[in-house]
Amino acid sequence: MSNRPRALDGLKVLDLTWFGAGPIATRALANMGADVIRVETAKRPDGLRVVGPRPPGNPSLNVGGYYNNFNAEKRSITIDLTTERGHDLGLDLVRWADVMMTNMTMRAVRQIGMTWEAVQAANPRIVAMYQPMQGLTGPHTEFVGFGAVLSAVCGVNGLAGFDGAPPIGVGTNYPDYVVNPMHAVIALLAAVRHQRKTGQGQLIDMSQLESSVAALSTPVFAEANGAGYPRQGNRVPYAAPHGAYRTGEAGDRADRWLVLACLEEDQWQATASTMGHAEWTTDTRFRSVASRKANEDALDALVAGWAEKQHGQTALTALQAAGVPAGLVLWASEVLADPHLKGRPYYAYLDHSEAGLRAYDGPPVRLSATPVEIRRAAPLIGEHTMEIATGILGLSADEAAALIAEQVLH
Amino acid sequence: MTMAHETDVPGVLSDLRVLDLTRPIGHYAGRLLADLGADVVKVEPVDGDPARRWAPLLPDVPAPEASVSFVLLNANKRGIALDLEDERGRALLLRLLATADVLLESWTPAERARLHLTDEILRHARPDLIHASVTGWGTSGPYAEWAYADIVANAMSGVMTLAGFVDGPPEQLPDHQGHHAVSINAAAGVLAALLHRDATGAGQVVEASMLESLLMAEETAMQQADILGTDRARTGGQGALGFKMPGLGIYKTTDGHAYAMCTGNAGSGFPGLVQLIRTLDGASPLDDEPYASFIATSMNTAQITLLMADPARAPQVRDLLAEIEAEVVAFFARHPKETVYVRGQELRVLVGAVNGPRDILASRQLAARAWWREIEDPLRGHLRYPGFPWALAGTPASLRRPAPRLGEHTDEILGEAGLGAGERTLLRAAGVIGGAW
Repeated sequence: MSNRPRALDGLKVLDLTWFGAGPIATRALANMGADVIRVETAKRPDGLRVVGPRPPGNPSLNVGGYYNNFNAEKRSITIDLTTERGHDLGLDLVRWADVMMTNMTMRAVRQIGMTWEAVQAANPRIVAMYQPMQGLTGPHTEFVGFGAVLSAVCGVNGLAGFDGAPPIGVGTNYPDYVVNPMHAVIALLAAVRHQRKTGQGQLIDMSQLESSVAALSTPVFAEANGAGYPRQGNRVPYAAPHGAYRTGEAGDRADRWLVLACLEEDQWQATASTMGHAEWTTDTRFRSVASRKANEDALDALVAGWAEKQHGQTALTALQAAGVPAGLVLWASEVLADPHLKGRPYYAYLDHSEAGLRAYDGPPVRLSATPVEIRRAAPLIGEHTMEIATGILGLSADEAAALIAEQVLH
Repeated sequence: MTMAHETDVPGVLSDLRVLDLTRPIGHYAGRLLADLGADVVKVEPVDGDPARRWAPLLPDVPAPEASVSFVLLNANKRGIALDLEDERGRALLLRLLATADVLLESWTPAERARLHLTDEILRHARPDLIHASVTGWGTSGPYAEWAYADIVANAMSGVMTLAGFVDGPPEQLPDHQGHHAVSINAAAGVLAALLHRDATGAGQVVEASMLESLLMAEETAMQQADILGTDRARTGGQGALGFKMPGLGIYKTTDGHAYAMCTGNAGSGFPGLVQLIRTLDGASPLDDEPYASFIATSMNTAQITLLMADPARAPQVRDLLAEIEAEVVAFFARHPKETVYVRGQELRVLVGAVNGPRDILASRQLAARAWWREIEDPLRGHLRYPGFPWALAGTPASLRRPAPRLGEHTDEILGEAGLGAGERTLLRAAGVIGGAW
């Protein structure tokens, strides 16, 4: 961590997001230097403040790892935007901001009076992103859901997994974590560039459905233009072998899987040699990509038969030494301890007044001259209410205290 | 709200020239910048980008122009074929770099050293260059030279172990999420670097790693390991409750599956699901006792979790849940997925159809929002593309040109750089450049 200048120093972001897809986007902006003010309410806190993982028996809104990871380095102010005075203060923050973002449903946006019309009237040069599930227009604009519902609708569930198996999805609310937040960052930064050049703000209508389908585009584009793209399981349409193979248990965790992907012919030859079966490469069933794809079940059985006699780490080392894209399916604790990620380094360890020293995900992307860094832990709920009320909203300490007593601020 | 028409206004990046040397891992990064208006020049080897050989293929289109993946992720780019293994090819690259704002590439440190394209040489060609590296592992650390693939990043990021059935293999995310994620992050980094360059005139290096780009997708697994010291495992879509919560998960419909999440406070909750059953079936046994009062008082995950933790009540609650679940299963099995989805959402029930590509192509919502983009490709015919991830009202993205044929714009681009026809002929004969269109 340094105190070097960052790319977004001076950018003011009003953060009306919650849960996953929104907060991760604004966290990326904060870690690039933006001043991100997260508006929260104790009346209805972010759902991620309530759930785990958290220290057992500790119900505090401030110790959940899920929330804290997505909100590092932001400031938090608690305002009840549904009150008239609270709404006025919210509009003062709109006037302060260069950028506003929300991923609430439009019903909730109307309840807090932060529609595009209201926001633009208060600050004509603002960049405002609305990121509801299905966009600001169309027959499904009011549809509700979290990433789990979206995963079904956008195709993650239907496309993941093995042919014939129930479409259980990928075990997480996947679109929330990379695709939707980081697509959002691209659009926000593009609009900021336009704002700086022309003084003009704009509305960004970001449908989480569209953003998610845009990142599941290969099967959709194939289907749209006469080429099929069935569920792949752990395969790809253009290479084999390609999959996950269970390794032996001696000296390792019981549930240990090796993955490998032979994307090029030389990688296939290196794989067969490493496995001690150079003869596989001259087998008529396996001589070309096309023949390996046609006989992939038989090929996978041979690779699986080899793998189950191997120690995972040893097999990985041998395959990578031969230039084969290979890896182990790691558990989260192993990822945290991975020597490569430690060597980069990736994870940030930050001290938090209630949660203690905890791991935070590192930067999504690195910039050499203007580092992307996580410089502070997540805010306590309302931690910066007084500071923002007096420093930005122009209230005296007495006025702020009065508003806290009225529960407009907390 | 007025939306500017995408062909009437220049994109935010229309003043930007990008040289895109990425392997398939980074194709989407250049595509995103191109969609925002940048002039993205794809620099391929003379024998073509590896993805040109990837199945599936568009029907009735000759090789090497038929790859679905290639045609999708390289639309909006111009293309030049250049042998960077040859010193003359690298000289041409540096000549092009002088006119470029952004370089996107996927070299490992050793590959880059072999090409002699050091920071100094690149900066000499273009002092304010934004140089973006898009690789599997990043350009530092013990695995920097390791071979990579999308599934390998799925595995090593811990994401894959969360997906799949308890007794089955871990499962990769569908459609190259590692490639997409690292490309999205790289494009975001380029935008941030561009804002800095706009303000200061200084370029810099942007670096995105596929492994790191997937780590956020571990969801809560990292924090669980950090805070509780335990590893989240795959559950086959059953979640971490340890019992089957009615109204939560995948249900069979007459024509496929739907996903329901009716066990929290969001939307209309489980009572909303009962209302949906009543609406579509006229009546529901769940309106009768003992179910009705149980549903009214207890039917959310937090409450049930408490009840199930009480040994005195758990057996009775378990039986009740099983009976309620049987009604929910039977309800979904009586209806098509689109019906429960649309009618359910009208009642604010958190339910979604499990869609495949065909359903998505038929989506009324995407059609109403005019999301799809159509393009006339002279070689590949009329193509329908997925639209953009966002709609910027003032400076919309646009789809302006089809993916380049191999070396399609070699002469055009080298001509722009001042290379005469005679020189081009010599370089082409020597195999340093490709494509003669």
